[in-house]
Amino acid sequence: MSSSGTSAALAAGGRVEVTMPQMGISVSEGTIVEWRKQPGDEVVADEVLCEVSTDKIDVEIPCPASGVLESVLVGEGETVAVGTPIALVLTGESNGEGAGTAGARERAAAGPGAGGSSAAPGPKGTGDRRPATGDPGELDRSRFYSPVVQRMAAEHGIDLESIAGTGVGGRVRKKDVETAIAARSAAPAHKTLHTESPYRPEPEAQAPAPSARPALAGERREVMTPMRKAIAEHMVRSRRTAAHVTTVVEVDFSAVRRRRAELRADLERRGVKLTYLAFVARAAVAALQEFPVLNASVDGEELVYHDSVNLGIAVALDDGLVVPVIPRAERLSLEGMAAAIAEVAEKARTGRLVPDDVQGGTFTITNPGQFGAIIATPIINQPQVAILDLEAVVKRPVVVDDAIAIRPMAYLPLSFDHRALDGATAARFLSRIKAILESGDVS
Amino acid sequence: MAEAQLTSDEPAPAVEAQAPATRELTYLEAISEALREEMRRDETVICMGEDIGAFGGAFKVTDGFYEEFGAARVINTPLAENAIIGTAVGAAIEGLRPVCEMQFADFISCGFDQLVNVAAKLHYRQGIAVPIVVRLPSGGGFSGGPFHSQNPEAWFLQAPGLKVVAPATAADAKGLLISAIRDPNPVCFLEHKGLYRTVRDEVPAGEHAVPLGKARVAREGSELTVIAYGSSVHLALRAAEELGEDIEVIDLRSLCPMDTEAILASVRKTSKVLVAHEATRSCGVGAEVSALIAEHAFEYLDAPVRRLTAPDVPIPFSPPLEQAVLPQLDDMKEACDELLRY
Repeated sequence: MSSSGTSAALAAGGRVEVTMPQMGISVSEGTIVEWRKQPGDEVVADEVLCEVSTDKIDVEIPCPASGVLESVLVGEGETVAVGTPIALVLTGESNGEGAGTAGARERAAAGPGAGGSSAAPGPKGTGDRRPATGDPGELDRSRFYSPVVQRMAAEHGIDLESIAGTGVGGRVRKKDVETAIAARSAAPAHKTLHTESPYRPEPEAQAPAPSARPALAGERREVMTPMRKAIAEHMVRSRRTAAHVTTVVEVDFSAVRRRRAELRADLERRGVKLTYLAFVARAAVAALQEFPVLNASVDGEELVYHDSVNLGIAVALDDGLVVPVIPRAERLSLEGMAAAIAEVAEKARTGRLVPDDVQGGTFTITNPGQFGAIIATPIINQPQVAILDLEAVVKRPVVVDDAIAIRPMAYLPLSFDHRALDGATAARFLSRIKAILESGDVS
Repeated sequence: MAEAQLTSDEPAPAVEAQAPATRELTYLEAISEALREEMRRDETVICMGEDIGAFGGAFKVTDGFYEEFGAARVINTPLAENAIIGTAVGAAIEGLRPVCEMQFADFISCGFDQLVNVAAKLHYRQGIAVPIVVRLPSGGGFSGGPFHSQNPEAWFLQAPGLKVVAPATAADAKGLLISAIRDPNPVCFLEHKGLYRTVRDEVPAGEHAVPLGKARVAREGSELTVIAYGSSVHLALRAAEELGEDIEVIDLRSLCPMDTEAILASVRKTSKVLVAHEATRSCGVGAEVSALIAEHAFEYLDAPVRRLTAPDVPIPFSPPLEQAVLPQLDDMKEACDELLRY
């Protein structure tokens, strides 16, 4: 798996064509934020070539080959579809100079220099755009971004959502962006890596917005951290987007406990800690193969089914929450799953996640049970359609064969998007997980 | 812009920089002075028009010309605009530089064929230069009614081969008329009647040629650009002063060729634009400038490009109705304020 998915094709004349990479399942286009290399610069494979911004994340694009950056085909601030050539790298491995060269030059000429006719910047926020004529006093324009505002924000990496607009109808105007740029250059450079998934460009550190009211005696006010703000935004957006329903099954973990005891020592010798979470993840991935609608996304009026299960694991941090993703989790055995969970959790806790690690998730498991909670109604991680919750495994008196027994029990709540599926499907899915876990047949 | 093709094989006008003394003249006096100086400098320059001889013209632009230059160079014509312009085209072909006066710009419609079909196209058809100037006393504001108040510039902007200028100041009135007379192409010279005696500014004495196709930054600012010409420039300047805001005013001066670079440079700076003119709205200079900005400076816009113009109606006689039709100072202030707040 190439680390960032930068795709490249060998063009004629010892050239490598760098194309806009596929940065996530629902990402169809990217905007060049900044070229770190200029035409004529020497580049080494995997060196950062440019920074690209999508509606979800900011990504650094590594150079796919060593050589000289011959030309840049897409200018800063321009948005192009995934797969569009963005640069040519001259590798010096001459394999037939000539064919293709002219085409490359043509594209280069039609690239950044073509100014006036180039594509408009990304359509962020244009959903509520209305013809801005007549009396401007009445419409809510707080999320209308004018062309110059979009361009300046793209050029300076400003998150427009984080700016308060002073124009008519709360519009963010050029002046406001200029103020934000000025404030940023005055603020110390500090970039946090963690954030809730899907990863969004870090809101730039700004001077704390003047609080509407001063702190009263007995209270203390703190500006939210960028991660806190990102979580807040994502959670509210998810609540607003999905028709949340939570269904719960109760699972007897006796069989899992036995199986765990069998395997534990072996795995520990190999450095893998086997947790209940790994069993649940393994069972969930198996069940997802049978219920593909739970491994899907809602995109407008379409359901997008994903071939692979990219499993998000919610990891609590001291100051927030992050959801690293285990890609193609269906290929993992129980041991592989346990190792993968341990790895992403460790990366999350030590701040070593990169944007690729937190995106592209198709289903998420959260595990507040480790802190003793017994039931919750989690919020779906957009644009997924469901989130499974493992609560604490505790001993409860249960009826087994008309007798009362003491068994290790846990609730498994599942929050699902009623737009995508109905309660019956959710219940069948949960029952399948329950059956797998109670059989103990997990490997 | 068809600037290259427009040029016929006449030598470029000499623009001498001699830091001339200036004195205050009215807009009308400046036009008169430009005409007189050119007639003194170049004996091929002649004047033609209705009542421009002993009477000195309806607005007295050629007052005293008949006495100084005689009937052969200051020619009274019948009330027949087609004949005036047609004769001027013939004279120009034969080597003269006629300056035709339309008594009112409105009457140019009678001379339309000679101007648009003959004068504008001769260079393209046969490579013949037609160095004529048609002076067009235009504009309203004095209850002149529908036949004596129009601003017909847009008609000529649709006729490739014509140049169109519209000065706002006395200095530019002189400088642009001199350049128009020396230009090898037919030039429509729009002189706003409302400015004749109300506008008065420092005008260089002697040689003073203002190049065609160059706009003037009448006021520098960074929050909003008002693009105007003719009478609207003064409205914009007054509005900017009274609002006390950081408004830039671009005086186009030439409508064809138009100084697109100056327009775009200002848009890139301020990101907000009001295009103002007294002429009617549809398919006018405002529409053209707006389209230019949309095509070439879209990514610099922070507000919709707005127009302040007369509505698409003839100019009424009734003073209150005329006031309602022509853009007023308050309209200008309101339009600026709306864009500034946007």
